[in-house]
Amino acid sequence: MNYVRPTGVAELLSHLQEDGSAIICGGTDILVKMRHGLVSPKTLVDVSRLEELRGIAEVDGEIHIGAAVSENDVLSDPIVVERLPLLSDVLKRLAAVEIRSRGSLGGNLVNASPAADSAIPLLLYEARLRLVGPEGDRWLPVHDFFLSPGKTTLARGEFVQTIAVPEPPVGCSGFFHKIGQRRALIIAIASLGALIKVDGSSVRLVRLAAGSVAPTPIRLRAAEEALIEGPLTDARIRDAVKAAARSVSPIDDIRATASYRRQVVGDLLERFLRQTLP
Amino acid sequence: MQLQLVLNHEPVSCDVDPCVRLIDLLRDTLGAKGVKEGCGEGECGACTVLIDGNPANSCLVLAAQVEGAQITTVEGLSANGELHPVQQAFAETGAVQCGFCTPGFILSTVALLRRNADPSDDEIKLALAGHLCRCTGYQKIMDAVRRASKLIGSDGPNAQETKP
Repeated sequence: MNYVRPTGVAELLSHLQEDGSAIICGGTDILVKMRHGLVSPKTLVDVSRLEELRGIAEVDGEIHIGAAVSENDVLSDPIVVERLPLLSDVLKRLAAVEIRSRGSLGGNLVNASPAADSAIPLLLYEARLRLVGPEGDRWLPVHDFFLSPGKTTLARGEFVQTIAVPEPPVGCSGFFHKIGQRRALIIAIASLGALIKVDGSSVRLVRLAAGSVAPTPIRLRAAEEALIEGPLTDARIRDAVKAAARSVSPIDDIRATASYRRQVVGDLLERFLRQTLP
Repeated sequence: MQLQLVLNHEPVSCDVDPCVRLIDLLRDTLGAKGVKEGCGEGECGACTVLIDGNPANSCLVLAAQVEGAQITTVEGLSANGELHPVQQAFAETGAVQCGFCTPGFILSTVALLRRNADPSDDEIKLALAGHLCRCTGYQKIMDAVRRASKLIGSDGPNAQETKP
């Protein structure tokens, strides 16, 4: 196996054209997959030091996060802590500090786990990804990035350079909870995140997203529609919980059954909504 | 490739396969046997080392990725024949049984106390959540971290930063 460390985007793109090349950044996912024989690249292309994939900055009202920035550096960055508190809070519960010091935000997305914790706040914030390939750049909503477990819309030779997060709506509160058997390093059995703004007795804005209950992390649009522009009554909460349970498509696996996951995502939603009640 | 790094305050240069894991470089080539391999996939924390001061699983890092970095293993903590206060606290509180997980716990504790000299129990648990111990039941380890925090506090903020 070969190892290369490109010094610029052009060099990276040219390495990605080579047969059997794969990107390594933090290594916390790909080295585990290699150990299990799931992937066996001929060349590892290390992007962890590439300047173009690093740094966190405000650009035209958006917060731009380099795809190679480590999860620890993202969660403790002053801009992220102040402007994207839910992203910071979620990353604090991703894996463990020893993983987060190496693993990158872009890597967690590209790995495309249905359980990817970082996808939940990025779906809620309606972030966009800057994808760079031999044909040039394109911007894609994170919502359109995931296809199925381990699969994204990234074309061969393309990589994620930047995660761009728009300024979140003012006055929202955030929520994230995941269920698993251990506090650290768990792959969620089910997770739920939310942004909500309640004005008087009416829900003015609500965004809901869930992990490990579908082939990709998803927004729960039907449950959002059941809640928007109305009071948080028992009946409306019940409708939203039903809508959430109907809109997920979980599977049985070694961690939990599908019916348990369907139940738990509804329970998490109910817990969050009751917590939000004035 | 020719790899240069700083291991336990000493500059090191060695000829190494860039795709060898950091844990193998440290144990097999550089003799740092305090780095332990438990699960080999980032679940247990036994292979934890400090890379530029940050705890990381050395089983999930390639040798080439630490070029130019400062690596600290448990061998690099004591200075002038004196145990590091965190090592001393683990010994005094009996937080060591079989000892296999201990270097990892100690290094993550060192990193924790450098950024937060007086952590709450919850902060200690979060910082050590990536480590598994199958002997102690964790209570003695919690005691050790609290004791280390006191030892460092009473010796002044620079007590743990001793260098040979």
